[in-house]
Formats: sequence, structure tokens, C-alpha cells
Amino acid sequence: MSAERSRLPALKDRVMENDWVRFAISPGLGLGWVVLLLFLPMTVILAISFSVPGDFGNVIYEFTLENYRRFWESAVYKNIILESLFYGVVVTALALPFGYTAGYFLGRSKTDWKWILLGLVVLQYWVPFIIRTYAWIIILSNNGVLNQLLMGVGLLDAPLDIMYTTYSMVLGLTVSLLPFMILPVYVSVSTIDEDQIHAAKTLGATDFRAFREITLPQSLPGIVSGVLFVFIIGAGAFLAPTLLGGPDTRMIAPVIETVFILDFNWPFAAALSVIYFGVIGLLLYLFTRRVDLEEALDTGGAV
Amino acid sequence: MATDHATTGETDVDAERGYFGITLPSHVKWNLVRATTVVVYVLMILPLLVIVLNSFNPSRLGNFPPQSLSLRWYEALLADGLMLRALVNSLQVGIAAALCAGLVGTLTAMGFVRKRFRLKNGLVIVLLSPLLVPPIIVGVAATIFFGQLGVGRSLWWLIVMHTLLGLPYAFLIIRSQLYLFDETLEEAARTLGADRLTTFREVTFPIIAPSIVTAMVIVFVISFGEFTATQFWVERTTTTVPVVIFSMLRTSISPKIDALATVMLVVTIAVPALLLGARRWLFEH
Repeated sequence: MSAERSRLPALKDRVMENDWVRFAISPGLGLGWVVLLLFLPMTVILAISFSVPGDFGNVIYEFTLENYRRFWESAVYKNIILESLFYGVVVTALALPFGYTAGYFLGRSKTDWKWILLGLVVLQYWVPFIIRTYAWIIILSNNGVLNQLLMGVGLLDAPLDIMYTTYSMVLGLTVSLLPFMILPVYVSVSTIDEDQIHAAKTLGATDFRAFREITLPQSLPGIVSGVLFVFIIGAGAFLAPTLLGGPDTRMIAPVIETVFILDFNWPFAAALSVIYFGVIGLLLYLFTRRVDLEEALDTGGAV
Repeated sequence: MATDHATTGETDVDAERGYFGITLPSHVKWNLVRATTVVVYVLMILPLLVIVLNSFNPSRLGNFPPQSLSLRWYEALLADGLMLRALVNSLQVGIAAALCAGLVGTLTAMGFVRKRFRLKNGLVIVLLSPLLVPPIIVGVAATIFFGQLGVGRSLWWLIVMHTLLGLPYAFLIIRSQLYLFDETLEEAARTLGADRLTTFREVTFPIIAPSIVTAMVIVFVISFGEFTATQFWVERTTTTVPVVIFSMLRTSISPKIDALATVMLVVTIAVPALLLGARRWLFEH
């Protein structure tokens, strides 16, 4: 009995000191989580995208290229992917100047309100997308807050018809994504040594030139990170196109949902997912040839 | 050419012209920056205030500004079993995912900062990849995967998947704290005879604990608000608040949604803010 007891801690130590066991517990746990719950499922949908759709969401495991042929031969689905990327670019192009300006203000301002303003951006990050999106329904609808106020003061006779159009979708999505631009820009602008800017101006540089040659290059990591997050989340948006967009606003995420839930066509939904992820992956690959992906994610991710 | 500061000539003339050939005094430019910032903040904050105000508006049609204030939509909320169920589910899943991601994130970050292994840089991207895969694809892929395995829908499903979605954030936050950590402290403890576990408990954990709390708060917030992937993973008994709000928006818009959204705002802002505020106090002993 006593021999048993003395052997147990030794066994425990041997197990704990084993390199494989320690790898499995420490970095391996997180890696395993991602591989098991993300990589493996993505491999499964890759396999299923080459299968035949059965009735009611069933999958018949016979190899076919039919799902990809269907995508390739229909202009509709190809255009939806292109439109998603287009809206991603539009939203990024709008969020960049506004988000940069606000982030720049936060980084350079000496106001006492700075910490409150910064806190408001972080809180904005935390507000669920469903709420940020829903707010625009209340505001922009025909009998919404904006129209009631404008008609109340007599500026409008008939309600402004902007809800359920591409404009309302782009507006709502851009505002939702602004914090993802503001915060990384703030982080990189606030680390710039102000003496450099003063020195440049003392040496005769104009405001514009000092900005272009000192502030802009040093805030580039923030811009890169903001653009990465805003573009990926924007192009893949589900709520904004579904709730704020019009009948002519088509984006890939709602379409995948429809094929998956309403058409119950799992193999085709899988094929669309694979194609869309392929496109995003290709863009990311081109991106990483110029930029350190880990650094960009770190700047934007660790709020 | 712009790099050669000795030959100023042309570039300086260009710079003097400023934007579109207009030169503005510095304080005017700064005021433009300030004004744009105000616009950005109004666009971000005002919509949320409208929701909160509307939730106290007795009118069903949401006449704005409200003529009077009432709690009728909160009373309606309390009488709605499905909504309360969703709220309890969301809280349970959020708390469980936060604890889970806190644990997994801590161990993983420790491994990545302290250990040497092959392909480390590539494996970091693996760990961060949930940030890069669009949530709609995460949603569809997990549904098909678990469906093929025959796993039934339960809150566990949500917990493990929300842990996955929060893990990159937890990892990044805890890792950045570990980078600032003085490793000689651990070596000293080990030299003095402490085993790994004791070293962790007595030295490492107290120092990185604040960042673990931050990480868990962020993961709770992500879990509590996640919709796009989660919509595929729930059924009636395991539904969450964002999914309930979404399905209500599809059927009929009622001010009850504003009340539920306001409750959600309070949970997602007040609770984390309080926790982060108490963080320092919690670990000062």
C-alpha cells in the first residue's frame, strides 16, 4: 500500500515532465480547440461541397462537381460574391477617413474628455451588432425618428424613403464598423513621438508635410489593422444586408444562409462557403506578402 | 524624391498648396478634425440613445419624441417566457465560454510565450484564424460537422463554439501581459525549490490575473452578442437574446424589442465596465 502511495507522485511527475504531455496541455489545448472545431469542420464542408444534395438537408456521398458547375455557370452567384467584395471596399473606403480622423483626434488631443471618449469607443465595440443594426431601423424607417423629426419641424412634407435601400445598408454597416478603424489608429497615433512633429515644423515643414512624412507612415500599422478588420467583417456582413438592405442589395452571407436554411441544400451551401473562403483566403495571402498578418491582428484584436 | 530633404524645391511647393490647392491655418484644420470626430461620435452613440429612450415610450408606433414615459414594455418583457429563457441562456453560455476561454487562453498563451517549438509563427496564425474566417462559414461548417457526428443541439454546443470565437482575443490579451512579465521571477521561484504548479500559482498567476479577467470579460461580450454563426446552432429551448431579437424583427417590430435591447446594452456594457473597474481592486491583496 505504502509503495503504491509513494509511486503515484513519481508517476505524476513523470507524466507532467513528459514533453508531449506538456505540449498537449499548454499550447496544444488552444491549437486543438481550433483544429477540432474550425479546421476539421471546414474540411468536412470541403468534402460535402463535392457531394450530391439529398432531400431535407441530407447529403448523398457521391463525388460530383455539380455544385461548382452550378456556381460557375450562373452569373447570379458570381455577381453576389463580387458585390460582397464591392460593398466591403465601399464600407472600408468610408470608414477609413472618418475612423482615421477620430482616431487621430484621440491620439493627439489634450482634452480632459479623452478617456471618456476612448471609453465610448471601447463600449461601442461591445455593443452587439444586432443592436447597432436595429437602431438604424428605428431611425431611418418611413415613420422612424429621423423622418418624424424632419417632418415635425417642417423640413419635409413626405417621408424620406431611404430605409431598405443600399444606402441605409452601407450607412448602418459603416457606422457599426467605425470602432474597428478608430481604435487601432488611435493606438498607433498615440505612440508617435510628438517631438518629431515639432522638430519637422521647426525646420520649416508645413502641417501637411509633417503629417505626410511623420504621422502617416507611423500610423500605418493602425490603418492596416483597421482596413483588415473592416473589410473582412464588412464583406461577410449578415445583419446589415438582411435587416437594412433593399431587394437589390445582395451579399454572400445572407445568400449562404438562404441556401442552407430555406433550400436545405447543404452541399451547395458548402460549395458557396468554400468558394467565398477561397476568395478571402487569396486576398489575405496577397495581403500577407506585404504586411505581417499576426501584427495586424494583434493591433486590432487585443482591445 | 520626397526622401531627399536637401533638394526641397518642388515637393515643398506642392506641400505648401495643402489639400486641393487650399491652405488653411493650423487651428482651422484642427477644428475640422474635431468636427469630424463629433460627427463620428454622434453617429455611433445617438442610435443607442434612441433605443433606450424608445423602450420607455408607451406608444406602440414609437412616436418620437415620446410624449410620456412608461415601463409597459419592460412589464411585457417580464411576462414573456421565451425572452427570459433566452436571456438566461445567453448569460449561462457567456459566463461558461468566458471561463473556458480564460483557461484555454491562459494555457495556450503560456505555451506560446515560454516554450520553443517548430512552426511557432505559423501556429500563431492557426490560433488567430477564427478572426479571419467569416462567421457565416463558421456557422455553416460547425452545423454540418456536428450534424454528421449526430451531436444534438444543447447549450454545450454554444459554449464550445463561443469559446472558439473568443479564444483569439483571450490569447492576444493574455499573451501581451506575459510579454511584459519578468521571467527571472519564475526562475527564482524554481531555484528556491517550487514545482511548476506552485510557481504558477504563487508567481505567474497573480501577475497575469488582471489580463485573464480582461480576456474573460471580452469573451463574455463576444459570446453575448454573437448572432451570425449562432443562429444556426440554436433551437427553441437553447435560443439566445440576439437570435430572439432577430426573429422578432422578421415578424413584427414591437417596442418590446427596444426593452430587450436596452437590457442587453446594460448587460454588455455595465457588467463588463464594473468588472474591469473592480479588476484592480480584486487583485490588490
